[in-house]
Amino acid sequence: MKGKISHATNEKNFDFIILGAGGVGLAAGMYAARLGLKTLILGHSHGSELPIGGVITTTNVVENYPGFIKLTGQEIAHEIEKHTRSYDLVTIKQEKATEIKKEKNGFIVNTEKSSYVGKAILFATGTKWRKLEVKGSNEFENKGVAYCALCDAPLFKGKVVALVGGSDSAAKDALVLAEHVKKVYIIYRGEQIHPEPINLQRVKANKKIEIVNKTNITEIKGKQFVESVLLDRPFKGSKELKLEGVFVAIGHIVLSDLAKKLGVKTDEKGEIIIDHKTSETNVPGIFAAGDVTDKPFKQLITGVADGCTAAYSAYEYITKNKVM
Amino acid sequence: MTKVKIYTTPSCTWCKRTKDFFKEHNVEYEEFNVASDGKARQEIVQKSGQLGVPVTIIGNKVIVGFDEPALKSTLGIK
Repeated sequence: MKGKISHATNEKNFDFIILGAGGVGLAAGMYAARLGLKTLILGHSHGSELPIGGVITTTNVVENYPGFIKLTGQEIAHEIEKHTRSYDLVTIKQEKATEIKKEKNGFIVNTEKSSYVGKAILFATGTKWRKLEVKGSNEFENKGVAYCALCDAPLFKGKVVALVGGSDSAAKDALVLAEHVKKVYIIYRGEQIHPEPINLQRVKANKKIEIVNKTNITEIKGKQFVESVLLDRPFKGSKELKLEGVFVAIGHIVLSDLAKKLGVKTDEKGEIIIDHKTSETNVPGIFAAGDVTDKPFKQLITGVADGCTAAYSAYEYITKNKVM
Repeated sequence: MTKVKIYTTPSCTWCKRTKDFFKEHNVEYEEFNVASDGKARQEIVQKSGQLGVPVTIIGNKVIVGFDEPALKSTLGIK
């Protein structure tokens, strides 16, 4: 230990306030507690649409986290949450941060329920699903248009569906869908879908999945529920494809608005620019980790590591600067 | 207390969150897994007019998704 922390005794005062209770925020909280920081983790913060555990809870199978050969996203999130909650210095509240103000010796974080003071802040706010913006996509949301394959795939048992997207997440969603539905068309705007090689092999080997590259959906049609989609180029001789579900996996929108209001620098995608060695932002006392940052490789394993780095940097910031 | 029915899939994170909410507030509920129960699957489409889980039915009230304010007000939880 390089310094000694003088904890605030007020229950609203913390050394470290973490925005976001996904895997990254929870791991950062665990490490901060190990360093002796009285830590508050705000879940549902900053408009996150997911409960504690974050985006990994919508992943079916996690096979790339050391120590666990294969488990579900919910299982690993539960293990990380349990680990974090085992430290008395950590408080987790399911509150949404609405405003952050810089004060002389720290930050005031207002939520819809209360107000807290922190010496340092971590943005682990992650992202939310990017919505498909075509005619009919809002009208038929939850009526055939869906964003969580893992949640809703069983409701499409025996039906024909489309999966829009070409990423690794899109491929994994297609594989989940194929366990329940009759047929999955992966509709991708680019030349070729680009999942991790292991998932590309699985997709190609699955007889229920057909890939339709270089194609966009232009309209979703139906009466009460989805009945077909219109495509921007013919597929098997027709621009209309009959199906009953459209699952969407076209990436995410970064949740960095509150950080921007504090003067934190972001790139053209809205990702928070951090020092990749320390997880510091350009604003002293504010750190960021995980999917909300400009780190290119975004996995639970990399985000967790950056969250722990941010906790250590916050500890150094508080002790070196004697922030009381 | 009014009978609470929840329609879920095993891998749905919001379904788990809704059930955690019921446990936290000592609300007894009956769960229907629409992944394995075809009749329950048809029921939620008819009753909620949509294709998503969780669906909670409390009396005549149908609540789609984990809508904490709606659950609290319907169940009289402050």
